[in-house]
Amino acid sequence: MANASLATSDLIEGIKSWRIWLLLGWQDIRLRYRRSYLGPWWITLSMLVTMVCLGFLYANLFKLPLNEFLPYLAIGMVVWALILSLITEGTSALVESTPYLKQISLPYSVFILRIITRNVLIFLHNIIPVVLVLLFFQVKISWALSGLFLSLIIIIFNGFCFAWILAILGARYRDLVPIVASIMQIAFFLTPIIWEARILPEKYRYLVDYNPFAQFVEIIRQPLLGEWPSMNAYIVTITISLLGMGVMLLLLKRTRKRIIYWL
Amino acid sequence: MASIELKQVSIDFPIYGISTRSLKHQLLRVSTGGRFTSGQNHVVTVRALDSLNLTIEHGDRVGFIGHNGAGKSTLLRVLSNIYPPSSGTVTIDGKISALLDIMLGMEPDATGFDNIILRGILQGLNYEEIHAKKMEIAEFTELGDYLSMPVRTYSTGMQLRLAFAIATSITPEILILDEVINTGDESFIQKAEKRIKQVISSAQIVVVASHDLGIIKDLCNKVLWLDQGSVRYYGDVPTGLNLYKNSNATP
Repeated sequence: MANASLATSDLIEGIKSWRIWLLLGWQDIRLRYRRSYLGPWWITLSMLVTMVCLGFLYANLFKLPLNEFLPYLAIGMVVWALILSLITEGTSALVESTPYLKQISLPYSVFILRIITRNVLIFLHNIIPVVLVLLFFQVKISWALSGLFLSLIIIIFNGFCFAWILAILGARYRDLVPIVASIMQIAFFLTPIIWEARILPEKYRYLVDYNPFAQFVEIIRQPLLGEWPSMNAYIVTITISLLGMGVMLLLLKRTRKRIIYWL
Repeated sequence: MASIELKQVSIDFPIYGISTRSLKHQLLRVSTGGRFTSGQNHVVTVRALDSLNLTIEHGDRVGFIGHNGAGKSTLLRVLSNIYPPSSGTVTIDGKISALLDIMLGMEPDATGFDNIILRGILQGLNYEEIHAKKMEIAEFTELGDYLSMPVRTYSTGMQLRLAFAIATSITPEILILDEVINTGDESFIQKAEKRIKQVISSAQIVVVASHDLGIIKDLCNKVLWLDQGSVRYYGDVPTGLNLYKNSNATP
């Protein structure tokens, strides 16, 4: 009983403390780019340069039409950047917040939401070069674009659940940070971002079909390319959301009281 | 009416890192059927507080005394809602303001004014409240134009002044202090003393841990002597301090 209420009150009070996590998340960005002329626009610029260079390189290597490949690549890279940082930064979220957690009584969710805030802000800067690329190549716009809203909610919701799960496990098992980093490195190559799913031979299709990251990238990429994501992608991502929420609640209920003693 | 009640509160710190913290050991244990690391599996725990009972009533000013490692800071963190007890119950009625680390959340690269806002928000104020207090805090620090410069350009004393001014700008119900904050040069110390006394007198309950028995005598109406995680004495100040001093005199 007490454990459950501690867990739920952490979540509720955490969300209510929006002033704190919005400010901390925003400050993280501001301080990272302090004293630079472009400030956070460096995020925009460096993403633009990377995606254009990689786009030219791979379009030539794979003999793909640039006007199809570059938009595809650009969106994939930006979504991946979001997923990657939510997961890796989530894993060390509580460990890195130790000074706060040991000195002041705040809901721990604040420090998960700080990471969400920070990365959504980065994502918003990253999406600008994507829009430029889409406009430049005159990618068709359709009603499917409205699906983007739901997709972003799914991604952010999952970011919260899995950042919490990984943050708890990362506080208890310190090896998790390098493990997660290596897994994500492999996942990047196994996910259709710099290559397209349709170039895979039939017998390797399962790499995409059973790869949850591929589905998360698809629900963002398809609406931006003017197509609806497949039903399969929605089913997979929503199922993972529900599973993630269940595991998060269970883990939080079991461990919330003990987390501080692990730090 | 603020009040604090602790019943049979114990705190056990698990000490990881000696044996079982890393995943390797957990995996090895699985893969070797538990034999390889058997014997290392139990986690070493340190009992920091042992079945502690404590009642603090409205209006009390309680000073915690005891040797290093007696559990003073741990108890302060239990009262501040930071450590959930391993067993026992903690009942706290009233809003807690804990000033355990006044430098907490200080961002060296942000300006003095930014830090005022940041720390204010961390202490649970909203934007209007902190903006209303901003000028009063700024004035108290006597830092003037420095407040528009990054905090990293400040001397240590100036940083402490700023931190102190922000931290003490609250009107707490229950105030928890780890060592009474003393900072700055001669003239500032006097100002700071006046201010901290003001905050203390406005609080309904004050709990302070200190090695400075003069301060305890000065501020408190009750003293709690902690020894190895248990209460050795809880009651009026002169008796408590005498017992404590005598026990120190005869080793």
